[in-house]
Amino acid sequence: MSEGAVETILFYAIAAMSLFFAIATVTARRLLRAAVALMFVLVLSAGFYVMLAAEFLAGVQVLVYVGGIVVVIVFVIMLTSSVDLLEERPPLLRKALGALAAIGFFGTTAAVYLTTDFGAAADAAPPAESARAIGAALLDYGPHGYVVPFEVISLLLLAALVGGIAVARRSPPPSQPLTSGGDLPGEVSFTPPKRQNDPEGGASHA
Amino acid sequence: MSVFSPAAVIAAPQVFEVKTLASRAATALPGSLLESALYVLLAVVWIVALLALTGLALIYLERKIAGHFQCRLGPMRVGPHGIFQTVADTIKLLVKEDFVPDGADKVLHVVAPFLALTATILLLVILPLSPILQAADMNIGVVYVTAISGFGVMGILLGGWSSNNKWSMIGAMRAGAQIISYEISATLALLVVVLFAGTLRLSGIVQSQADGWWIWRAHGVGVVAFVIYVIASTAEINRTPFDIPEGESELAAGFHTEYSGIRFAFFFLAEFINMFLVAGFAATFFWGGWMPFHVGGLDGFNSVMDLVPAGAWFAAKTSALVFLVMWFRWTFPRLRVDQMMRLEWKILLPVGFVNLFAAALVVLYGLYFFPGT
Repeated sequence: MSEGAVETILFYAIAAMSLFFAIATVTARRLLRAAVALMFVLVLSAGFYVMLAAEFLAGVQVLVYVGGIVVVIVFVIMLTSSVDLLEERPPLLRKALGALAAIGFFGTTAAVYLTTDFGAAADAAPPAESARAIGAALLDYGPHGYVVPFEVISLLLLAALVGGIAVARRSPPPSQPLTSGGDLPGEVSFTPPKRQNDPEGGASHA
Repeated sequence: MSVFSPAAVIAAPQVFEVKTLASRAATALPGSLLESALYVLLAVVWIVALLALTGLALIYLERKIAGHFQCRLGPMRVGPHGIFQTVADTIKLLVKEDFVPDGADKVLHVVAPFLALTATILLLVILPLSPILQAADMNIGVVYVTAISGFGVMGILLGGWSSNNKWSMIGAMRAGAQIISYEISATLALLVVVLFAGTLRLSGIVQSQADGWWIWRAHGVGVVAFVIYVIASTAEINRTPFDIPEGESELAAGFHTEYSGIRFAFFFLAEFINMFLVAGFAATFFWGGWMPFHVGGLDGFNSVMDLVPAGAWFAAKTSALVFLVMWFRWTFPRLRVDQMMRLEWKILLPVGFVNLFAAALVVLYGLYFFPGT
């Protein structure tokens, strides 16, 4: 049995399972089951990356999408719904519109893939140590480097982080000062500083 | 350095050639499909045997150590000194009724313990026990370890949620919050070792310690990284003092309250093997794994150390660390949820970042011991 045959069998097996779980993701009526099916889709796409000799990308895929994003999705579902809750079946009109959008997207994607010539990518050999090559490319400021997009993305992530904290942080009512529960040494209470340009707060105090 | 030993003249330092079972299978594949398949079968048998035997041994040891810490004898009745106690308990668990609660999400309730155990098995695959005893070795080793550890939390989250029981649910939420928080610190500590070794491959990290283990060769940063790693990974495997997800005085048994029989055994086994894995990875990254105790340049001393086989070094280091983690359990009281969060986000994380920066400086200027080799 040649190596190509093993790879082809693996590819179709992973592809079939991916399709199965992708369909389960959108048809499951329990939200958490949909999230679990989504997790399997993401893990299986990591399998594709391994077959393309991009092991580092596969590792990051599992690390970010399964260990991060799916876990957060599961958290949100756990906080907001229970086992007994089923999603409502969508009305016919919404189903029809959804099918139309899906067919349109499939047609566009298929057209792009069928008309594009991917010859250039076929003969590019993957580097032996992909992690090293990716790291060097990300921090290289030469013609083949990506240091500017890398830094811009890190700025974007930082902004998202600060924004997330700002949204999630509750500002306590003035009657209840923010404390840490009183078990930090020397801490009695902490009153958040009043904001200067707060028209509502200023009006209520005046 | 022949001042220290005349043997240095004859004994060159032993070179360890790493041959994993997966690489043997791949080498044999073009010649004989049967030989390759046999190596794969050997790897599977090896992983299953390791899983079962380590589980049996660790559960017995935990009970014995707990007993002696509390001035008791521990199990004594089944076999000499109770060594067959775990076997008896396993048989009891296997024949116990295995039920799914009425209001549970049945599919997820069944799948969850398998997910937890799968993550554990996937980590056992990459653990280097000796140059020849490692099922597979990947060039993304450290990323793989971190990614699969994150995957393991899904089993606990799903198990707790699908039980449709508020204690299970709260336990699962706590476990999730705890594991994804402490994962950050554990990863920061591992990155220090990656900086020193210059590779993500686990066998490469072990071989980079041929002149000395990173815990002492890297001056202080190795020690700080090791301490952070041990604390963070103890939290990641929900061991006391971080057993908040299953705190029995508050939550019945947390996420596995509604489990019994063989699927409870899966959660239980995964938990104990995870302890073995944490000890094994800490030994691999910071104590040299199967690498004997070497000091760069002292060839005579090193060749004496090489007389002890590599697998024995790994076993000794891992056993010491397993004992340390068990010692934690019978020494420290359980943390409160807010204390646990403060420890991670306000203490371990800043220290981890500063330590990583310091490690980068140490590597940049070659300040660690024996940088030339």
